[in-house]
Amino acid sequence: MSLIRLENICKYYSMGDQTVKALDHIDLVISPNEYIAFIGSSGSGKSTMMNILGCLDKPTEGDYQLNNKSVSLLTQDELAEIRNIEIGFIFQSFNLLPRASALHNVMLPLVYQGIPLAKRKAMAMKVLEKVNLSDRTDHMPNQLSGGQRQRVAIARALVTSPSILLADEPTGNLDSQTTKDIMALFDQLHKEGQTIIMVTHEDEIARHCQRVVRLSDGRVVEDYQNQTDGRIESEVRANV
Amino acid sequence: MFSLIESFRSAISSVRAHGFRSFLTTLGIIIGVSSTIAVVSVVQGLSYSINQQFEGFGANSISIRSVTPRGERLKGKIARITSGDLIAIRKNSEGIEFITPQLRSNIGGTSPLTYKGNQSFAQVAGSTYSYQNVENLDIKYGRFISYGDNQTRRKVIVIGDKLREDLELPSNPVNEFINYAGEWLKIIGLTEKKGSFFGFNQDNIAILPYNTMQGLNGNLIQPDIFVHLQLKDINNLEAVKSRLTRILRKQHRLKAGGEDDFKIETPEQLTSGISNIIDTMTVVLGGIVSISLLVGGIGIMNIMLVSVTERTREIGICKAIGAKRHHILLQFLIEAIVLSLLGGIIGIILGYGLGMLAAAAIPGFPPANVPLWAVGIAFGFSAFVGILFGIIPAAKAANLDPIDALRYE
Repeated sequence: MSLIRLENICKYYSMGDQTVKALDHIDLVISPNEYIAFIGSSGSGKSTMMNILGCLDKPTEGDYQLNNKSVSLLTQDELAEIRNIEIGFIFQSFNLLPRASALHNVMLPLVYQGIPLAKRKAMAMKVLEKVNLSDRTDHMPNQLSGGQRQRVAIARALVTSPSILLADEPTGNLDSQTTKDIMALFDQLHKEGQTIIMVTHEDEIARHCQRVVRLSDGRVVEDYQNQTDGRIESEVRANV
Repeated sequence: MFSLIESFRSAISSVRAHGFRSFLTTLGIIIGVSSTIAVVSVVQGLSYSINQQFEGFGANSISIRSVTPRGERLKGKIARITSGDLIAIRKNSEGIEFITPQLRSNIGGTSPLTYKGNQSFAQVAGSTYSYQNVENLDIKYGRFISYGDNQTRRKVIVIGDKLREDLELPSNPVNEFINYAGEWLKIIGLTEKKGSFFGFNQDNIAILPYNTMQGLNGNLIQPDIFVHLQLKDINNLEAVKSRLTRILRKQHRLKAGGEDDFKIETPEQLTSGISNIIDTMTVVLGGIVSISLLVGGIGIMNIMLVSVTERTREIGICKAIGAKRHHILLQFLIEAIVLSLLGGIIGIILGYGLGMLAAAAIPGFPPANVPLWAVGIAFGFSAFVGILFGIIPAAKAANLDPIDALRYE
């Protein structure tokens, strides 16, 4: 069974007379509980890939099936619903709402589902505990360190129990120690069964993942399993 | 459904986050609403006090005054209600409780009242004992004119407080004598102060018995009389009115089909004329100040557009984590409404204060009176302005592309 199935996905942008092929006939299958990294230099199409996978953008051509449902033909509002329920976004620059406390930031996706406040609060507190921030719930983003902010962002992504965690350069703005902490958190989430898709240009980060897909000029040039993969996968299997 | 409360919370936090800017934004609305409320409250205070003035007339009373039709006036004829008319009315007074004639002095217009070398002009009227009820006069010292005073043409006078001051009479002037048109009149009463009304001092008055006044005027002059009638039963109003019309037409020898040269009025007719003027004034002033509300609304739209641009990235984040178009639309719309309602509330309070201040600053002006409908309209109008001018910025926010919005620096 596949979680994500991309068939012949193309994304073209027209820049004046020129047509830029950001994604060029991509076929890809991602299974549940995969830990996958898209790597590539800038302009390789990995950001476009992220936008398509995250239902922020629609492909010019091709079919994208998420949980065996085609999302290529959905309206903006239907895509918003998919983003809300199926996908948890984590951004390089954290992208927290500056005027809302950590708790309110985490509760926000639930607001769009119409969940009542008390339940919303309980769910948010639970994930904040999971990312070790239960003592920082009332802090505003500017009162938190980079690592803490990213953990709030991860909590916000997890609170709806999404099918996929989509992380776009999640450690790009963090120092090396914090990077280690955050990556450890991702590893742990993966062990617990979370599907994680990451976009990065750092091999160091990609090494944490089971599977690495290298993009170049909008095409898949490499798709391999990491060596450590076998060990991690067997551990996961053992846990399941 | 998306919880409105969440939109309100977010709107209030964003209004608070930009305190001064929010204040400046709502200033247009504040000025618009407060001036509306101030103007309406003053005008309504006026109208309220006018109605109070006429209440003394009583509901079951009518008045007769002369009216010269336009055609007659061009011929140089002036219509009058004469003492002969009054006698005719007296003879047919079924259904009428009191007849109160008011005779303005023909000589009094130029003739001053004098006391020990002081002289003053006042509004002098000749009338009967029932005049006290009609004009709502209270007596401070002494008594009012009695039935007997009139019958025996006693040379007595009741004066108002302003006249007493002007003539430097003692604070209790009863039993003093003042001179009017060459006659010495004994003061028998002083009325309670009534204050001014529309800038007219209501205490600069003098009342003497109707027959005494007629004697002073002399028999050669046919004075114009204003007659006030108190009916026994208001249900007979139409019958009495038509009978009086018949009598007066006969008295005045009017041809059939000719215009009446007098007017029989009920108190409602008297007040409705004034309230018509006041209503028109309210509408016109309301229209003028609502333009300033419109200007205030444009100010709100301007700032909301700026705010949408500033928060493009935030909108992108919200969209990425699942906000639908209507979520964003509602959030910005509610923010605009909150802004303008806030302006509306401050405006209502400020306008109320201004109205009170204006009423207090003008001497003799009635107190301001803010009717609930004005508050309701001001409130509703500012909410409407918020929706009207909030919808464009909100739609702009809702239609942003999530990727572009996320990338916005």
